[in-house]
Amino acid sequence: MTLKLDSLRALDEIYKALDDNILQAALSRASYNNQVKVTEILASRPEIASLAIEVREIKRRSIMKLEELIDQAISSLKAAKANPYYASSVEDARSIIGRIVGSNKLVILSKSMAAAELDLRSYLESQGNEVWETDLGEFLIQLEGVKPMHTIAPAVHMTREKALILLKGKLKIDVKEDTIESIANTAREFLRSKIIRADIGITGANALAADTGTIVTVENESNIRLVSSIPPVTIAIVPIDKIVPTLLDAVKVAIIQAAYAGLYPPTYINIVTGPSSTADIEQTRVYGAQGPKELHVILLDNGRLNAKSNPLLGEQLYCIRCGRCSFECPVWVHTANYWGGPVYGGPMGIIWTAITIDPIEAGKLAYLCLQCGRCDESCPVGIRLSYILRYLKTIAISGSMSKL
Amino acid sequence: MPLNPLEVVRLIEDNMKRYGFPFPIPADAIYSWAKPLGLPARGSPMLYTGALYQLMPYIASIVESLAKIEGSSVSVMALRVSRFLPGFLTGLVVKPRGEFQVYSESILRSIVKLLKTSGVNVAYPYEGDLYSGVLLYDLGLDELFREQALKVYKALKERGATTVITVDPHTTHILRSIYPRYIDGFDLEVKSYLEVLAESGFKPGYSIHRDVVIHDPCLYARFENIVDQPRNLLASIGVKYLEPRRTRRMTYCCGGPIEGLAPKMAKAIASSRLKELVEKSKSIVTLCPICYSNLKAVAGDDIEIIDIALLLSGEKS
Ligand code: SF4
Repeated sequence: MTLKLDSLRALDEIYKALDDNILQAALSRASYNNQVKVTEILASRPEIASLAIEVREIKRRSIMKLEELIDQAISSLKAAKANPYYASSVEDARSIIGRIVGSNKLVILSKSMAAAELDLRSYLESQGNEVWETDLGEFLIQLEGVKPMHTIAPAVHMTREKALILLKGKLKIDVKEDTIESIANTAREFLRSKIIRADIGITGANALAADTGTIVTVENESNIRLVSSIPPVTIAIVPIDKIVPTLLDAVKVAIIQAAYAGLYPPTYINIVTGPSSTADIEQTRVYGAQGPKELHVILLDNGRLNAKSNPLLGEQLYCIRCGRCSFECPVWVHTANYWGGPVYGGPMGIIWTAITIDPIEAGKLAYLCLQCGRCDESCPVGIRLSYILRYLKTIAISGSMSKL
Repeated sequence: MPLNPLEVVRLIEDNMKRYGFPFPIPADAIYSWAKPLGLPARGSPMLYTGALYQLMPYIASIVESLAKIEGSSVSVMALRVSRFLPGFLTGLVVKPRGEFQVYSESILRSIVKLLKTSGVNVAYPYEGDLYSGVLLYDLGLDELFREQALKVYKALKERGATTVITVDPHTTHILRSIYPRYIDGFDLEVKSYLEVLAESGFKPGYSIHRDVVIHDPCLYARFENIVDQPRNLLASIGVKYLEPRRTRRMTYCCGGPIEGLAPKMAKAIASSRLKELVEKSKSIVTLCPICYSNLKAVAGDDIEIIDIALLLSGEKS
């Protein structure tokens, strides 16, 4: 059940995508809109670009002392009464989460690329659980049965016609009108009924503060809020590259991620330090007030520490997953995440696939990179994506990673 | 079916080892354009083309053949273990596109003329005008690239070059920013002819009044900081240049770098860019032979694509 990349099969899919006119139109619209939005944000708020430079420095320093930050985060999480776990591999993470969740549970997820790395939905379903994505885009692609097509806009290829067919066909729900609003309402009603009864909520994270053990997430839909506060047990999957020294650093990361994703100001930034509690009676603290009673935090390695030791792949660990490099990429705008691997896509996606799955197969896909450098120019944390992609080509053609 | 990128890379590697060029091309096709000009074979500054302008007519023709294979319905999956593709390609006779060849050579002659008008007399290495290895670097063939870079460096040094003048963005970038990482003690000064012209106070004494839209090549704009020079040169002869939506440091690629690996994708990218350029003007100025070739391949007859050298030298007005 581990995720694999077969680059030739991926090329066949990419070529099919090229012939899909609806997809091509949707991608070109989405990338145009995103470019316009981000340009506006940066032009009207000069403080964002300077904050991005600060975040670049925060990320660089964090990755440099990553091992130390992991240890610190683990003690801070314990101090905050959360349960931290270190998962070296996909298998590790699945079995840890599997033990927490058990079977016959109702599980709700908020969009998380880390969960996608684990192919968590299928895994939990295979253990006899009912699992629902609560982000609208992710929910629709769950119904469709495909992979997320962009880091922040998983359903970038979705049309209202397709969404209607999915809701009617897969869930047998009637949507009153064929407006986007009505689709969103229908999904909301359906998901509400699940969220309210859920046993377990699983989120990702934009950043984790090592000094306080605080998980920071940023969003517009408010589903992360619900998933991380309504179920009695919650789990956060945090890739280790998301750990930064302080809570303030973590909030800065979230703000920059949102701004470069074209969502500024973000509607919500969530700050979660441990499970909910109350000390209202006799000043004695008990856990489990209105929010969860238990919070489990999975620190996911999955190739990251190994990548850190490689000066080029290690640079990708600065990534805050804003997805701007994809929207600016002339290739991605014709392929969506079909170009990249089973989880990630686009310029950053190829490199994340190399780190988490297979550098040689990822390197073969890197051959579609133009080396045009628009991604390098766009990345808020200054990752030299095109340079790393060229390096992946040397790996693919020589069949080994030894040379650098 | 999509082409298997590694097979195309192997083909290029093979050609390089056999012919010294990524595609079979007769050696004198590289320097025959310079013969009538009587340039000295030694000295500095040395004009070095890196053969890209001369190769483009051959590349355009091989890309057509690759596009045919790509367009066939055989699935790449069925071919994954066979050696069918390189065998087929090695057998291809590569005929240059005649009109394109004439065009490339006239651009190179214009560049020499422009430099001369600005008081810069160049030497030219003739047989020493070797392929720069750009494609080897871009495709990750690092060992072969290093060997080629050393050969080029030696050829230029032997002929007395201290300053090298380049004519296209790829060769400029590879020589100036990449060679020093692969060659110990690299000490050539590398400049694009556009930089040299801009610095020399280019004043040709004629003006060309027309509107064009400018298409920055990625490497000049984002990697070599050559953005204002071409604009100032155009303005100095009275050409009014218009900016497309995505321009200067955020210019948009023509798709050219993957024309041999994924011709269909390259065309899709070129078409997107062309559309955006044409919104501003049907006369498009290019600064790179790859951009020229790729935009040309998707442009209708009502669209004019002009290399900046021809515009500046007054040959296309
Ligand atoms: S590589 Fe840079 S631009 Fe791309 S998603 Fe990561 S942070 Fe954003």
